[in-house]
Amino acid sequence: MIKDIIDKQVFELRKLWLNKRQLLFQVLNLAMIVFSALMIWKGLMVVTKSESPVVVVLSGSMEPAFQRGDILFLDNSKHHVGVGDVVVFKIKDRDIPIVHRILKVHTRPDNITFELLTKGDNNRVDDRGLYAPGQLWLRREDILGKAVGTLRYVGMVTIALNDYPVLKYVLVGFMGLFVLT
Amino acid sequence: MAKKKSSKGTSNEEERKSTQAVNAVPAVEDKTKSTSASDEDEDDEESLGLLQVDLGDILKVKQVLDEATASALVEGTDLEEDLQLENIKLVLMALACCFAMVAQFAPLPFPNSSYIIGGCCIVYFVFSGVLQLISIFIEKDSIVIIKPPPKTFQVQGKRIRVQSSFAKFEEWYVVEMEYEGLPNSPFVRQKWSVGDLFDAEGFFDDLYFTQEVQKLCKRFETGDYDKEDEKETTKGKSKKD
Repeated sequence: MIKDIIDKQVFELRKLWLNKRQLLFQVLNLAMIVFSALMIWKGLMVVTKSESPVVVVLSGSMEPAFQRGDILFLDNSKHHVGVGDVVVFKIKDRDIPIVHRILKVHTRPDNITFELLTKGDNNRVDDRGLYAPGQLWLRREDILGKAVGTLRYVGMVTIALNDYPVLKYVLVGFMGLFVLT
Repeated sequence: MAKKKSSKGTSNEEERKSTQAVNAVPAVEDKTKSTSASDEDEDDEESLGLLQVDLGDILKVKQVLDEATASALVEGTDLEEDLQLENIKLVLMALACCFAMVAQFAPLPFPNSSYIIGGCCIVYFVFSGVLQLISIFIEKDSIVIIKPPPKTFQVQGKRIRVQSSFAKFEEWYVVEMEYEGLPNSPFVRQKWSVGDLFDAEGFFDDLYFTQEVQKLCKRFETGDYDKEDEKETTKGKSKKD
């Protein structure tokens, strides 16, 4: 049964290879689909002025507000952030962004530069222990964006793809085959 | 039915891989028959091998019939496929992909160059939108466009547009040929039942369908057009036969 399906797909691909124009058409079609997704992502990046406009919550440090597997939509367009805002920030030289709430804001006399202290709702202590050695405060440049929207549980797919990278290739492979044939 | 299947298993190498092994005796017997029958068997073998379709897969059935119609009209006849629209679409897609690649892969520092990236994204979506509009309003349900036909046709200098329709959950596949760009163009329209073109297991009778389509084309060529009011009757669900 599966052998038949595979044979059929192989045959379709071979037929496609013979007709170069049709092959080009299908390849471009596939590329357009992939680029549509990428362009939506880039568009979101431009509009929200954030490097990473959609993130997945990986830990339970913000429960009960946000659970592991939730998707957060970020907006980085406003310069000023206040106490109580949920922000996503990256610590220098570390890859993984962190979602926590702002606890303290110390503004300089110029009213533009400020320093931040954050804490996870579900943590006992503030984030000074997480910051780089010697760092006591976060700056505005460390912030990727303020959380402005959320979708429950949808991020579980991303977590699964991260934990089992082979799933990524399997998924893309299936999609590619589906479109080409 | 059984005869067809056994002959398909023997002379074509590809069939051997995907079907059960068959002894050579039936093939020898088939070859001793008259040439037209063996030709038909060979064509059937190729088509049987190529084209077994799951009859419930409506899209696949339509795709198979559309491809067969197009190749019946264009291969081995005086007619040539007009590839102008196809080429325009290919160029538009390639351009859209170029802009998308610039937006995605160009090593521009993010916050400063957001206008360039944003601009490329917008251009990409504009191209994509244009392609969709072409597909909806210009192509509609046409499956192939043919260059202005040779002198034997009634109307000269106009392209021929071949369109097909295959209503969901119905058995009728309808092909219509008309002249493009001519208001109230004369047309021919023919419908076939899926039951006449496929057998119960989904094997496609390529040869019969090719002959039928070529007959339709001949009707179009000689001016044996269908009347307007036939459009109303074919749209209705009741069958007259």
